[in-house]
Amino acid sequence: MAMPGQLMFARRLGPTARLLIWLLVGVSFVVIDIRYQALGGLRSGFSLLLQPVREAMRAPTDVAAELGGFFTRHRLLQKERDALQLERAQLLVSVNAAKELARENTELRTLLRLQSRPGQQVVHAALLYQGRDWFAQRITLDQGAAAGLRNGLPVVDAAGLVGQVNRVYPGSSDVTLVSSPEQLTPVFVERTGQRGLAAGSGEGQMELRYMPAQTDIRPGDRLLTSGIDHVYPAGIPVARINRVSRSQASPYLRVECLPLAGIDRSRAVLVLIAEPQVTQP
Amino acid sequence: MNVATQTTGNWRRILGTLTLAVLLEQLPWAGWTLTLRPDFVLVGVLFWALHQPARIGFGAAFLLGLLADFQDGAVFGQHAIAYVIGVYLVLFLRLRLLQFDPFQQAAQLFPVLLAVQLAVLLVGWLAVNPPAGLAILIPVLPSAVLWYLIALFVRLLHGKGLQDRA
Repeated sequence: MAMPGQLMFARRLGPTARLLIWLLVGVSFVVIDIRYQALGGLRSGFSLLLQPVREAMRAPTDVAAELGGFFTRHRLLQKERDALQLERAQLLVSVNAAKELARENTELRTLLRLQSRPGQQVVHAALLYQGRDWFAQRITLDQGAAAGLRNGLPVVDAAGLVGQVNRVYPGSSDVTLVSSPEQLTPVFVERTGQRGLAAGSGEGQMELRYMPAQTDIRPGDRLLTSGIDHVYPAGIPVARINRVSRSQASPYLRVECLPLAGIDRSRAVLVLIAEPQVTQP
Repeated sequence: MNVATQTTGNWRRILGTLTLAVLLEQLPWAGWTLTLRPDFVLVGVLFWALHQPARIGFGAAFLLGLLADFQDGAVFGQHAIAYVIGVYLVLFLRLRLLQFDPFQQAAQLFPVLLAVQLAVLLVGWLAVNPPAGLAILIPVLPSAVLWYLIALFVRLLHGKGLQDRA
């Protein structure tokens, strides 16, 4: 029997009421995360929980890749070795030239008493996981705050700029890819030196914004980072122009480009850690 | 209801399948397999919300939604809200779903899964960016197919399925 002070027909809340309560909780999560960025601790907790799992789940594909590599044809390896030796010889030549240039550059800079480029340090990282976020393109790397990463650092691979670190956890970090919507990269056209702003347009593509209609630009041109934002060092290849078209409605050209870095293919990337630049009064 | 006798076994089964779903999502999916990956966790949650509504409900869906938010690097709450809506729809359609054979169930689940993806789309749209395309709706189909396979498996395993026990 019901005791005094206890409801006689106590029931659980109906599903609709519970749905509304949980929706309210969900909306407050969204607001707290976006407006106040106060859920970093929860993210770190999840990352600590899931990182060992992800590393373990990477094993099956690694084993498959190993087995595939083991059965590679001997001839193929020989061919690859020849090609690599050739490439190495060519690279050695350019390394010598680059050394010479660097020496000359330091001399000239001391001569001009210019502030030298901030010392650069690289951290090797590997792709740990790729999420399926439809509103931004991100990958997760297996290096984090412990390796000295912090928000805003540029990430590159052998071919070009991959993206920018945007969340750092203790042992892993999230990178926003250059092709992610609303991700802006200041660039210049290699052939003409024209500066511009490249923006991701999603689905692995980019566009060069605000190019006046008479700009000298054509498919095949390469875009390099201009370095005027003090985020990316100057001269990292970003994208190659794919299509240029003119629209009646807009005073600007519509320039589509493809990122050069293997943004969703490369497994190994480098994170560039530059010392924060000291601004002199 | 003879729930009490099989409590521990059921809990073990529920937690086991949900853990398996989370593990499957941690595989290094990439490229088109990533686009076509069914939402294992969502299917798991909806399955148990259908068959064990007293155990797996809104709370579990919300928690696993937060996990999905983390793994996609999305805003916290995006998938949580969507999963909660999915559970509500399944509870709403529950009596009908339990009457259906596997194929009918999957066909009925398709709009539910679609509604969940649309909720993800809507929350992301309002909170972050306009979406970069409607590719977000692609995983609905693999998820429905996954539901069909699971329902078929359960039917083969238990004869008439879990319906007489629920």
